[in-house]
Amino acid sequence: MAKRLKVANPARCIGCYSCMMACARTWYDTISLKNSRINIQTRGGIETPYAMIVCHACVDPPCMRACPLGALTKRKGGGVTLNKEICDGCGNCIEACIVGAIHLDAEKKAVICKHCGVCTKFCPHDVLEMIEVEDSGELKVTDTSPVEDTTSESPTASHKELYGKKEPEVKK
Amino acid sequence: MTTEQYAIPGLKNVLYIDLTNQTYHIEERPDLYKKYLGGIGVATNLMLEEYKEGTGPLDPEMPVILSTGPLSGIYPTCTKTVALFRSPLNGELGESYAGGHLAMSLRYAGFETIVIKGSSRYPVYVTVHDDKVAFRDASSIWNLSSAIDVGQILRRVEPGAGRRSIIRIGPAGEKGVTYASVNVDTYRHFGRLGLGTVFGAKKLKALLVAGHQEIKSPDHNAYKKMYGNLYETIVKTGLMEKYHNLGTSENILVLNELKGLPTRNLQATSIEGIEDISGENFAEKYLIRRVSCAGCPIGCVHVAMLKRPFSKAHEYETLNISYDFELIYALGSNLGVTDPEAVLELIDACEKTGVDIISMGVILAWVTEMQQRGKISTEETMGLKFSWGNKATYLRAIELVVQAPNEFYAALGKGVDYASKKYGGEDFAIRLGGLEIPGYHTGLGNMLGLSVGARHSHLDSAGYSADQKAFNQPTSDEKIVDYIIDEEDRRSVLNCMVACLFARNVYTYENMVQALKCIGIERTEEELKELGKDIFRKKYELKKKFGFRFENLTLPKRFFETASTTGKLEEERVRKAIEMYREKRGV
Repeated sequence: MAKRLKVANPARCIGCYSCMMACARTWYDTISLKNSRINIQTRGGIETPYAMIVCHACVDPPCMRACPLGALTKRKGGGVTLNKEICDGCGNCIEACIVGAIHLDAEKKAVICKHCGVCTKFCPHDVLEMIEVEDSGELKVTDTSPVEDTTSESPTASHKELYGKKEPEVKK
Repeated sequence: MTTEQYAIPGLKNVLYIDLTNQTYHIEERPDLYKKYLGGIGVATNLMLEEYKEGTGPLDPEMPVILSTGPLSGIYPTCTKTVALFRSPLNGELGESYAGGHLAMSLRYAGFETIVIKGSSRYPVYVTVHDDKVAFRDASSIWNLSSAIDVGQILRRVEPGAGRRSIIRIGPAGEKGVTYASVNVDTYRHFGRLGLGTVFGAKKLKALLVAGHQEIKSPDHNAYKKMYGNLYETIVKTGLMEKYHNLGTSENILVLNELKGLPTRNLQATSIEGIEDISGENFAEKYLIRRVSCAGCPIGCVHVAMLKRPFSKAHEYETLNISYDFELIYALGSNLGVTDPEAVLELIDACEKTGVDIISMGVILAWVTEMQQRGKISTEETMGLKFSWGNKATYLRAIELVVQAPNEFYAALGKGVDYASKKYGGEDFAIRLGGLEIPGYHTGLGNMLGLSVGARHSHLDSAGYSADQKAFNQPTSDEKIVDYIIDEEDRRSVLNCMVACLFARNVYTYENMVQALKCIGIERTEEELKELGKDIFRKKYELKKKFGFRFENLTLPKRFFETASTTGKLEEERVRKAIEMYREKRGV
């Protein structure tokens, strides 16, 4: 079962950057916002909604076609897998990606999303989600039931497990 | 570039910025961080080093110190920066905290502490882009009518979007209103005690910090695990539910019910029509989004939308305004304003001018009572007739205080202590330690906490919590004094980190010890507690140098006339508690 990352609810982003920190922490062993494979950006300070610049997991990835060395190969579920050994930092992939989801790290290696989903585990507002897709990366119809009721009365509304209402026993 | 060194010992520097000569230099001060960790601990000691006896709050040599802590930008909710200065409002210890993107930007720029000295001959803004500091002419943004707009302009001309913080002042800071604030990333502030005034005197319109560095932790796995634990505690246990849900304005109804919400210049402690300005009503009718400080998964910044018609042809302007408990008290209940849209408009007016909203609210309340008692006339107010709930008058008055067209409005721009000494009405000028009071009249704990607190703020010790406990269960005055002391010390430690105090129950001593350990800093619980006491002593040393004397502490009659949550207070009782505190503290 192939999966990919999706920006499911962009308007819910509070700009906490927990997702980016999780990505850099997991894949670069650093504490930073840099070299996160996803990018949460401001557009007008924090006065306007945040923008999520995230790899779209293309079915036919232009970045892969642009790579002269074959460092990028097609990933099951869309997008690409990078062979860091081969990458020489030419930057062609960056130009090919009009989404703006690729950059180079300090060692001049491409930083590209692996669609591992660790960022979704650190998103408190369900902005980011992992979705099931075909191996080719084509979108899959997975749900045919009515859309979820997200009003506050709904027992299944998002956040149901977050910011839990009960105060736990405080350890003395 | 990834720094080879691990996180905290990599940061041991202090960036000195000299506005007079437009120069800067970096000093290595591992001794300071080793002993005091960061934040208020480091800032207090630097201030003691820097302060030359007799230097006034607005003198060029008077430094402004901004400091973050070892956990800033590293762990969730450690998002604050402390500013230390000498307050132009009460001449005393100026200490204020702000969130936004500042702490994370400083951390990733590679600085933990900045000392700003001198003053520029012309308006400037200073940029810190990683390790590069630049001074730019700000003449064209001086005199802008709104502190918000300053951000819009600098965002366009400077790089670093999303990884930077822009802190700036509005007209109040430029014109010397002594309680001017510094706006941090639009929705956060160094609000209290007049940091904006000090910026204005230095001709420093704005400071921009952008950082892109990476940090390594010494034991990455331990760090990852600790981050995960703290994150889970914050988002899944309910400890932070209040801040996430209604936010601090949840307390409006609570305090009104408990008869502890200052109303109409503290002539009462609850108000009719409170439902309209409750956190619940703001959330249901006006709340449109929540935002976070960088590095905090809570999102406690509550942004309301006010849609305002400006013609009969269905034309509207839309304002986005952040609101909070203290603002609803200051510009709502304490001014007799129970129209939520009026509260939002008043907040917006204050935000643009860049003043401390609590101080402004108290001053306007005092003016209203003064005029009603016939102690000032429309001559002084230039025709304005103040009455409770009169939004239109208050909106104009906010402008006039900043513009200071006559002696009276100029006096209002110097705080309620100054104005009441000049025009009378000291008994109902509700300030403690020269600082206009926040939105609590809950009893002894609150009044004691505000009186003895190093910066006379409810955030020194949250004395109202002691009162809430005393309300539910009879508590001796000594217990309340002990509560204040413990809480002050605990908060001093949290303020070294510099963790958001909303997350104080997440960052227990135990968790602080663990969190520090995972980034290579060994401290025991006892050592942290001792640090808290040490910082207290240092702060009082500083306060003394700035001229604070317990003997001069004024306790206005109004506090004893209006019953609090825990009943009517007697001056004698408060004085005794202050004596008890002094004895226990040795100050």
